Amino acid sequence: MLSFIGRSLVQKLITLFFVAVVSFLIIHLAPGEPSEIDPLNPKFTPEIMERMRQELNLDKPYHIQFYLFYRDLFTGKTVSWKDQRPVMAKIWERFLNSLPLFIIGTLLTWTFSFPLGIGSAINRGSPLDKSTTFFAYMLISIPGFFFAYILIILFVNWLHVPVIGMETFGFSNAPPLFQIMDRTWHTVLPSILGATAGIAVLSRYVRSQMLEIINQDYVRTARAKGLPTETVYYRHALRNALLPFVTMFGLILPGLIGGSVIIESIFAWPGMGRMAYEAILARDYPVILTVNFISAVLVLVGTFISDILYMVVDPRIKL
Amino acid sequence: MTTRRALIIVPVIVVLFLLQSYFWVPTYEEQTRGNPDRLNQFITATSGDASLLNPILNADSASSQITSMVFEGLIDRDENLQFRGRIAREWNISEVAYFYLNHAAPDPTGKGVSGQNLLAWLRAKQKAGEPILANVSNIDLLPPKQSVVTKTISVAGQNMPVKLRIDAPARLRLVLNRVDQHLFGRLESLLGESYFSSFKALSYLSTQSKLPDEQLANLASELLPAIEHNPVIVFKLRPGILFHDGHELDAEDVKFTYEAIVDPRNRSPRIPDFEPVKIFTVIDPLTIKITYKRLYSPALGTWGMGILPAHLLDRKTLKAEAKMTGKEPSTFTIRQSSFNQRPVGSGPFTFKEWKSDQYIKLQRFEGYWEGTPNYDRYVMRIIPDPLTQEMEFYAGTVDDYNVLPHQVARLKSNTRFRNFSGLSFGYSYIAYNLRRKPFDDPKVRRALGMAIDTGKIIRYVLYGQAEPITGPFVKQTDYYNQDIKPLPYDPEGALELLAKAGWHRNSEGWLEKDGRRMQFTLITNNGNNLRKAILAIAQDAWKRIGVDVRTDQIEWSVFIQKRVNQLDFDALILGWSMGIEPDLYQIWHSSQTGKYQLNFAGFNNPEADDLIVKIRREYNHAQQVADCHRLHEIIAAEQPYTFLYVGRWTALLDKRIVRQVLDNNGNPVYLPIVPTKSGSYLYHFNQWIKKGNVPALTDRG
Repeated sequence: MLSFIGRSLVQKLITLFFVAVVSFLIIHLAPGEPSEIDPLNPKFTPEIMERMRQELNLDKPYHIQFYLFYRDLFTGKTVSWKDQRPVMAKIWERFLNSLPLFIIGTLLTWTFSFPLGIGSAINRGSPLDKSTTFFAYMLISIPGFFFAYILIILFVNWLHVPVIGMETFGFSNAPPLFQIMDRTWHTVLPSILGATAGIAVLSRYVRSQMLEIINQDYVRTARAKGLPTETVYYRHALRNALLPFVTMFGLILPGLIGGSVIIESIFAWPGMGRMAYEAILARDYPVILTVNFISAVLVLVGTFISDILYMVVDPRIKL
Repeated sequence: MTTRRALIIVPVIVVLFLLQSYFWVPTYEEQTRGNPDRLNQFITATSGDASLLNPILNADSASSQITSMVFEGLIDRDENLQFRGRIAREWNISEVAYFYLNHAAPDPTGKGVSGQNLLAWLRAKQKAGEPILANVSNIDLLPPKQSVVTKTISVAGQNMPVKLRIDAPARLRLVLNRVDQHLFGRLESLLGESYFSSFKALSYLSTQSKLPDEQLANLASELLPAIEHNPVIVFKLRPGILFHDGHELDAEDVKFTYEAIVDPRNRSPRIPDFEPVKIFTVIDPLTIKITYKRLYSPALGTWGMGILPAHLLDRKTLKAEAKMTGKEPSTFTIRQSSFNQRPVGSGPFTFKEWKSDQYIKLQRFEGYWEGTPNYDRYVMRIIPDPLTQEMEFYAGTVDDYNVLPHQVARLKSNTRFRNFSGLSFGYSYIAYNLRRKPFDDPKVRRALGMAIDTGKIIRYVLYGQAEPITGPFVKQTDYYNQDIKPLPYDPEGALELLAKAGWHRNSEGWLEKDGRRMQFTLITNNGNNLRKAILAIAQDAWKRIGVDVRTDQIEWSVFIQKRVNQLDFDALILGWSMGIEPDLYQIWHSSQTGKYQLNFAGFNNPEADDLIVKIRREYNHAQQVADCHRLHEIIAAEQPYTFLYVGRWTALLDKRIVRQVLDNNGNPVYLPIVPTKSGSYLYHFNQWIKKGNVPALTDRG
């Protein structure tokens, strides 16, 4: 066990280093430098551009730039080129904005996928199974932005309520309870949208896992010896079917920092995804690279956690 | 059992919790839910963020919308587009005119050519009730004057200073009650024909330098103009007007604003408006006098410019700010000042907060001279996406919405909203390059216009949200000549006209003249779907009568710089946006047909040129209107453009927003909001207020 953890850590550090190198190169080799973003701005004379390149170290060789960037990152000194604010503070603020969407979206995904998946597996071929299958494929196929606009138009035209943004505009003088509920309401649509694709995929996955287990010999034996159906399905079968999902918990982690570019843009939500997208458009290298680095770390931590979890829940597995 | 129950109950609870939050959120119908303060603020939306909140510098619509609330000019225009005093209580326009005693002309007095004689003779005429001098309130004499000036002249490509000695003759000064551009024409009937044109300026000028005769003659007429008109505007300011910081506004602030505009370091886009000013004089703290170099009737309108507070922007304050922020004081101008991010003016609303790309908040100004506005706050949200703007309007978090043409039919009938519409200040057109064949022939231009069904463009491309236009004036002003009928849609008639011009259809159906096919390229900028549609419609319409039209869409900056500015086009589709003033000089005068100038069509008509100049110089509204009507007629007859349409805007407003005024007993009376001729429904904004329910309206206004 300890040797596994040690080995795994070394491997992951090496991977992280390569991720850092590759992402640094991709971003620096992409056309367009931050100094060239606003060429029509008359204030951008060649001298100013040259001075800007010097200030941002863009005139130095790549390996020096690489060193300088990661030195700043680990000492917490990176600042955004766009507004000169510390990158970590910026990310933290946006992360807090994205967090409610992430939590509610994940909650919806996991609480809906299981009953739906189990239900359609147990009643295979029933109208419930057929309709969940239909809706699952429909939701997977609808483009997210299109679905988002349809939902916005329906909600606004029927209920005449604001749905865009993190809160109702001009509501900051309302009593706290109203404000909390207002914010809750504003998370409803984006998190439903964020969850739909997840529910569609995950419920399919639950269904196939459950079907596989239900058709196992021991389940048939348990039913044959007269155990109540409920006990067979929800105690014996479900436990075994759940095994692969435990490992998926670890993989949720990177989603924390990703956010959704499309949904956050449509709903004017000042979250992580939108920040990263705007940073890419503005060639704000420190922000892009930091977000990239953090998500790489989270992916590696996530896989590590799922490896460990797998070992914990399934005693047969030895690493 | 428990597992099964839990699996069903947990998602149900989650969903119920999420959905119940709906009952806490304000809806369109109940905007005050949890938030009674909503009624005290007006929220509007714009697609682009503001740039500089300074009336003398900004050029974008979001910034000027904010500065029009924070700043105020000397005057503005009322509902009927007439001037109305704001900071200025009243104003008076008069004229001072000068002419030199002419030694070369026959002496009208018969007592010898001298200034004294001429003065006495004119005064006697005036006393005798000479009608030509009825408008003149005073005549006096400026004695002969000797002076030396140094001018920089370019001779054979080299600049060199030239010393000139001027022995100016006596000059007569006439003070007029009204501006009269024909004064000297009339005076000639008194003083003798060509009294002014025979004035030999050159004979009063001497120099040691060698100069070509022509250049010297030009200098002479510049330094010693035979006649000179100097219109004068005197403004009386309202006493006790305060800036938002409590400082009193006076004549020095107006002077400062004028000087800030004309200071080239500030790079103000308003410089051309104030270039004709000769002298700006402060007479007393509440009186200013502006003397102009020449007749320029749009001058009065330029004083709608917002007035800046001198005490916050003068040299001393700017230097202190430069020092504080570590900038170089000698290059630090108003343009760099942080004033442009947190402006202080004297308008009905004070600046409060600007979160870039989110919103700008204004707070009402309690000390506003005309009374405090009803709304407590004015908020401009920046929402780039038009669909989001629309949704926020339906949800009651934005109070007005500018409807897109295709939505008008649907939304106008919606009883939840109040709607307004009016004509825009601009038009779309197809311009022809009159320098090129076949567009040099007015018959061809008229025929091409007749081949296009403008009605169909309006109906199908603009969903009926436009009107035909026949000339270059704003359609809702009286300058526009309503008697001119739009070109009829008549392809047959077009072919007949073309036949008169020598164009006949050949065996393949193409129009031909002297063996050459009528062939040209129609261009426009890409990225504008309306123009793209018009491009296709025009191409199709012209192909039907046998014109071989190619089309091209060009990226905006290339289109303007390489094609329009270089005059390298056959025909193009574009639009002009216009001001109310009927000044057509830049777009239609024949002196403006060069590269980088705005008369790119190359329109050149001597009578039109005369009228354009006359309109610019005419201070009498009725005469100006008559001249505009004639000019409109000429342009419509010449058809240098095919005038297509003027757009119609429609806006929606929450029904609960009304005008609230107090009646004689101090009780509130509610009036409906109506759009004015100025193309806006915001005219009475200071009286607006939002009520919880739609109040009963008194039908007035």
